[in-house]
Amino acid sequence: MTIFSTKTLTAVAVAATIAGVASIANAGECRRAEASMDKPGGFPDRALTMIVPYGPAGGSGQVAAAMAEAVTELTGVSINRDHKPGGSGSVGMTAYMAMPADGYNVLEHIDDASSAHALDSSKPNPASDLTPLVVSQVTFSQIYIRSNETRFTDWPSFVEWVKAQDGKATIANVSAEGSMERVTMKFITDATGMKIQQISFDKGAPRYGALLGGQVDALFEQPGDVRKFLDAGNFKPILSIFNERPGIFADVPTHREMGMDFEPLLRFRGFYVHKGIPEDRLNWLKWAFQRAYCQDSYQKYNDSKFMNVIDSYRDTEGAIKLISNSINQYREVYKEMGLDVK
Amino acid sequence: MWENFLTGTATLFGDPFTIAIFIFGVLGGMLFGAIPGVSMLTLAAILLPFTADLDPAQGVMLFAVIYCTGTYGGAITAILFNIPGAPENAPTSFDGYPMTRQGKAAKAVGAAVLCSAIGGTASALVMMLATEPLAKWAIMNIGPPEIFALVFFGLAVASTVGGRTIWKGWLSVLLGLLIATIGQDPVGGINRYNFGFSDLAAGIAFVPAILGFFAVSEVFVQAEKKASGKYEAPELSVNFPTFRELWAHKIAVIRSIFVGFFCGILPGIGATLAAFMGYGEAVRWSKNKEEFGKGKLEGVISSETANNAATGAAMIPLLALGLPGGALTAMMVAVFQMHDLEPGPLVFYNSPDLIWIVFAAMFYANLSILFIGLLETKTILYLLKIPFQFLAPLILMLASIGAYIGRGLVLDVMVMFAAGIIGFLLRRSGYSIPGIVLGLILGKIGEQNFAQGMQMVHYDLVTYFSRPICTILIVAGALTLLRGVYSAIQSSRSTEAV
Repeated sequence: MTIFSTKTLTAVAVAATIAGVASIANAGECRRAEASMDKPGGFPDRALTMIVPYGPAGGSGQVAAAMAEAVTELTGVSINRDHKPGGSGSVGMTAYMAMPADGYNVLEHIDDASSAHALDSSKPNPASDLTPLVVSQVTFSQIYIRSNETRFTDWPSFVEWVKAQDGKATIANVSAEGSMERVTMKFITDATGMKIQQISFDKGAPRYGALLGGQVDALFEQPGDVRKFLDAGNFKPILSIFNERPGIFADVPTHREMGMDFEPLLRFRGFYVHKGIPEDRLNWLKWAFQRAYCQDSYQKYNDSKFMNVIDSYRDTEGAIKLISNSINQYREVYKEMGLDVK
Repeated sequence: MWENFLTGTATLFGDPFTIAIFIFGVLGGMLFGAIPGVSMLTLAAILLPFTADLDPAQGVMLFAVIYCTGTYGGAITAILFNIPGAPENAPTSFDGYPMTRQGKAAKAVGAAVLCSAIGGTASALVMMLATEPLAKWAIMNIGPPEIFALVFFGLAVASTVGGRTIWKGWLSVLLGLLIATIGQDPVGGINRYNFGFSDLAAGIAFVPAILGFFAVSEVFVQAEKKASGKYEAPELSVNFPTFRELWAHKIAVIRSIFVGFFCGILPGIGATLAAFMGYGEAVRWSKNKEEFGKGKLEGVISSETANNAATGAAMIPLLALGLPGGALTAMMVAVFQMHDLEPGPLVFYNSPDLIWIVFAAMFYANLSILFIGLLETKTILYLLKIPFQFLAPLILMLASIGAYIGRGLVLDVMVMFAAGIIGFLLRRSGYSIPGIVLGLILGKIGEQNFAQGMQMVHYDLVTYFSRPICTILIVAGALTLLRGVYSAIQSSRSTEAV
């Protein structure tokens, strides 16, 4: 096969080594010290149910499977995953809110729940209407181009080229109204003065195919989701939307270095329970999910998704802070964008 | 290639445990594909955690085999009971079920078995020969504008199937398109027609709608006949299609292999569009279009060949580029990742053994459809002997479970019964149930790609029509529509003259 250059394979090896080092570093970061905890009053005496508001094959489905496996390994308690996809997570959220608040039901959700609440306060606030057990994936976004792209090669030349196209350049993302992607793209276009057509793809495969095939000029995505294309040398990151350069992407400039002064919105996935479940059950669940984050199987999974490139762990307090800050930030931006904030 | 294939075959059949997994995949895929509402995806989701304990090649091979046989499995219930096991089997029921009512169930099932095997095997062979160049061609040349043009063409071609008049056929398709707009719009995420119900934000799911329009409405129709003393149980025949009958449809088979394969290699599209397009092309090229939807063997042949031809093709973007073509291939990505592998170009370099075991397994899985399918058919046909008063509640119960199990929402069961009632009433008035389902399924794919395509061409039609594939498909679709109008007007003039 001619498509594999020595350079590509070396890059893969380097990436794997760095990821391994990151794994070791993060294993030491597990902040839940207790290796075991007694079940309060025999709870749980049966399997837990985990509502996953997305399909089994996507990022949420995979993190739910990895966390369920880690919790079962740790505690011996089985977890049945119930996928309820649709409506940007709203179908799963509604189903979960209707379930009994007895500690036997857990919800997986992503930052979409925070942005949905920011736009419409009648929707549950994940920080106050639910109790976060743990946020186990936190990641940042990047802008990618094809590695063999010749029209531009880095962020400055990309911006220059986009401006010359007078609004006809394209970028693939998930740009539903109020989404993290659309808000971040607003920050970027406002800061650079460039006009770019956002093409919204709700599924990953067509989105990545669009960049590979030259249907779009750039891609907005998180590194873990395009890792295979990075490893294969198909995609090249030209901008990290993060306050400092993550070690593994040390040669990619950040948005701040490129003169864009905004606080980056992060993509995060976590696990929640109803507000008001018995305190002893809540404490046990917090222990189980926070400790499961440290399990080798879960750490291995997070490494494979570039999810340990930055600190991916938030306990309950940290998660509440992360979610609340995100909601406030989204709400301010929505108002600026003229959206109908309820 | 042959050396690699033989090595893959030797590895596949050289280990008893691997053979057991292969057989489990073949039988499990057929079984789950055939149970209404429960699909190969259900089986795959159940098995996903267990694949971590398998060898990577065994895990990926298991899913590939389930994909092949599961795509076929739903044809049996589509033909015998008007209950497509999955959306990709829906067009099979258009003619398959009428054949059952006419006492030709064995003919339809036999054709489905044979054509699924032929379509799948041909697809697997092309997959082995040309995975990398085909994937690259598709990615470079087919984007959202082309996919929308393809959907438009498909709708134009097949819009008249099953309607009493061309106008009723089109109205049926338009109703399907309208239903497809319920839920969040595919680009901006704006809610439409959800009337404040958050469950409707996800739109109308395909499976409950299909079960309602086909299975439930059929139960109502037969119940009405039973109540009025006009019910006739379908004749039980075990007359398989003859070689001559199948040979007469060789062009339809070849055409469906091409159509199915083409749809299969498009990322995110897969077997459902393939089945509808295969069926639509059969209608378009037929001299007796009016016979479709009424029990024409060619309808079954075209649909089942095309959906299985998409299975091998869907592996092409997955293996060559890491881009899954549908839900099951997306789950295969997870299987790869559980073993520290990523599908994509590197997998050919890093794990050639795995690739060739998978290729070999898909080839043999498609062949096994032929042998196991024909063996099981004679047994399954005897289900038709169950008296209607026992069969009808059984169908309703299975359909209800099938509608509920996908997302665990009571709404889906309500949608199913609503679709059943609407379908029952519309059928009495000569509207087309296949047309509604066609509009619903292709509408969702079409709308998304239309919106993306328009954004890509900056809402400029000149730019849109500068893409040759778009121009060809849109013009061909428009001509087909105009020809239909012309024929309808001519026909109505002739009737008036008489």
